Amino acid sequence: MSVLIDGSMRVLIYGIAGNFGRFSAKDLTSHGTQVVAGVAPGRGLKDVEGIPVYEGARSACEAMRADAAIIYVPAPGALDAVLETFDAGCKVVVYPGDGLPLQDAIEMRAAARRYGAVLVGPNTPGVISPGKAKLGFMPSLCYAPGPLGVISRSGSLSYEVAWRLTTAGIGQTTVIGIGGDPVKGYTAAEAIAALHADAETRAILYLGEIGGNDEQALVQYAAMGDAKPAAALIVGSAAPPGRKMGHAAALISSHAETQAAKVAALRGAGVQVAATLRELVDAAQRALATALARATG
Amino acid sequence: MLITEHEGKALLSAYGVPVPGGAVIRKPEQVARWRESFPVAVKVQVSSSGRGKAGGVVRASSPDEAQAAARDLFAKQFNGEQPATLLIEPWLDHLRELYLAVTVDGGTGGYAVLYAAAGGVEVETRAPMKYAFGDPGSFRAHELRRLLATVEQDGAVRERVVSLARKLLYMTTAIDAMTVEINPLAVMPDGKLLALDAKVVRDEAAAFRHAELADALEQARRKEHPTVGKAMKGNLMMVWLDGNVGLISGGAGMTMAAMDLVAEAGARPACFLDCSSNPTPAGYALAFKLLDAEPQVQAILVSIFGGGTHMDRVARVMQDIMKKRRSHKPVVFRLNGTGRDRADEVMRAAGLCNHPTMESAVDAVVAQVRSS
Repeated sequence: MSVLIDGSMRVLIYGIAGNFGRFSAKDLTSHGTQVVAGVAPGRGLKDVEGIPVYEGARSACEAMRADAAIIYVPAPGALDAVLETFDAGCKVVVYPGDGLPLQDAIEMRAAARRYGAVLVGPNTPGVISPGKAKLGFMPSLCYAPGPLGVISRSGSLSYEVAWRLTTAGIGQTTVIGIGGDPVKGYTAAEAIAALHADAETRAILYLGEIGGNDEQALVQYAAMGDAKPAAALIVGSAAPPGRKMGHAAALISSHAETQAAKVAALRGAGVQVAATLRELVDAAQRALATALARATG
Repeated sequence: MLITEHEGKALLSAYGVPVPGGAVIRKPEQVARWRESFPVAVKVQVSSSGRGKAGGVVRASSPDEAQAAARDLFAKQFNGEQPATLLIEPWLDHLRELYLAVTVDGGTGGYAVLYAAAGGVEVETRAPMKYAFGDPGSFRAHELRRLLATVEQDGAVRERVVSLARKLLYMTTAIDAMTVEINPLAVMPDGKLLALDAKVVRDEAAAFRHAELADALEQARRKEHPTVGKAMKGNLMMVWLDGNVGLISGGAGMTMAAMDLVAEAGARPACFLDCSSNPTPAGYALAFKLLDAEPQVQAILVSIFGGGTHMDRVARVMQDIMKKRRSHKPVVFRLNGTGRDRADEVMRAAGLCNHPTMESAVDAVVAQVRSS
C-alpha cells in the first residue's frame, strides 16, 4: 500500500508545453507513472513527448480517463487551473508552484474538500512512493522503497534527507511534500493521519522549519497511545526572528515558532529529534528500532 | 507586508469601519495643521509591532506639547526604523477596549476571526477566542455569535462585533490581507465601536493583482541592505545575517539546514541565499559577485541539492565562474542531486573538489574561516 498515489493512477500534466512540463513528462514516464494526457490551452499542440495534448482538463479527462494531475502554471493562473482539474474529476492534484496568494490557496483547499479530492501544495515537489508511483518532480535517484513514511515542509531538504536515508539503507513508503506555505492543501495533520493508517509505514519522519505551528500536529500525534514511532528534524536554529527565510511560512513571529521551542515540544512528546542533519539518520534509525522492538516484543 | 497604521485606517474607513479622524505629519512644525481639539494622541507610523510598549504613542494636551512630542518621536528609532510620519488623532475617552481580528489560520487552512473582551497592549499574553471557518463562503454569523457569547457578556457589543467581523472579512479578501487586526477596538460612550489602531498585513504574493502593493514592495526593497536589494533585483532570495561564511544554496529548507550546520561547526552564516528561483549562469554569477564584494565574508560554501535543477549544468556554470573570478576568497563545493555523477566529472576535470557530504563541506569551509 502507499499513501495518496499508486501505480494505477492516470496522470494529467497541466502546462505540459513549458520547460518544466516537458521535463516532468519525461521524468514521470521514466519512473513508471502513467502520464496519459497534457493540457496546454491556446498552444494548438497535438502531443508533447508522445503524450496527447488537450485544450482543457475536461476534454483530457474524458478522452484519457485521467484521475490525477500535476499543475505547472504560474501563480496568477494557478487557482483557475486547479479548479478546472477538480471540475474535470481529478481526485489527487499537486500544485508545486510558489508565490501563490494565501486567498487562492484557501479557495483551492475548500474546493478540494467540496469535491472529495486532495490538493497537495502549494510550494511542494509533490509525492513519491518509491518503486510504485510518483506525482512530482523530485530526483528519483534519492529514493528507495522501505518502511519509513516522510513528511516535509521543504522540497530541497526532503531530497537531501531521502538521499541520506537511502544511502544508509533506510527506504521510504511515501514521501509527502506538504509545502512551505502557511496554507496547505494537505496539512501536516492530514499527512500524519494518512501515514498512521498505512500498514507498510512503520515509523514517521517529519522535516519541519521555524515559523507556524504545523509541528504541533506531530506533538499531538506522538502523545497518543497507538502512535507510530516518530523522528523529526526542524531547521532554522541559526535564523533570526522576524525575518522570512525564503518560504512564506518560515518566519519566527513568536517564541513558540522558534526551532528550540519546537524541538522541546517534540522531545517532550517522545519524538526522536535530530538537532541538525548530522544526527538525522541516527534519529530515523532509533524510531525504526522502536517500531521493530514493539512488533517483536 | 505590515503597512502603517494610517494606511491601514484609510483602508478600514474605505470598507465602512469607523476610525478617528486624524492628520498625518512629516515634520514637527506640521503639528500646526491640527485644528481640532486637544488632548491628542501623537503616534509614530512604523512597520513593526510593539510600538505602544516602546513609547511610540504620546498624549499631548496642547499644541506646544504636541510639537515637543513630535520632535522627540521623529528623533527616535523603533525597531531600527526612523519614523517618516506621525499620526495625530483626538485622544478619545471610551468605556472599554476590545480586540478583534480577521487572520489566516494555517492550522485549519482558512480564515479565522479572533476576539478578546479585554484588548490593549497585553492582549497577546492570553489566547483570544477563535472562530476558524475556512473559505470566505463558509463564514456564518450565527456560529460567530454563538462563540462570542462564551466570552462577551454584552449582547449589544456582540452584535456590533458580528457585523464588524463581516466587514473585516470582506476587506481581507478584497485587498488580499493576511491579517486585519484592530487593537484596541474601543466601545465609545454611545455604545458604537471605533478602531483606535489598525494592524494590516498584506499578502506579498498577491502583488501581481494590486498595483499599489507592488509599488510599496518596490519602495521597501530600496530600503534594504544594498547587497540584499541587488540580490532581490536579480531574483535571488537573500536575508543578510552578518556572519563570515557566505552561503550559495538552493531551496529554503536546505539553505536553513546549511546555516544550522555552519553555526553548529562554530562559524556564522553571512546570509540566507537561496538561488533556486534563478538557477541560471547569471543568477549564480550575481551570487558570487555580491559575496565577493562583502569584506566580512571570508569564505563561500556552495551547497546545492538539485531536483529540477540539473547539477552537471550547475557544475559547468561553477567551472566558468571560477575561471573568470578575481576574488581569492576560498570556495567549497557540495553539489548533489539530479545529474550528480556527471557533475562530479565536470568538477574533477576543472580541478575543483566536490565534497561527498554536506558535513565535510561545512567542516572544510569553517576550517578556511578559522585559518584566515
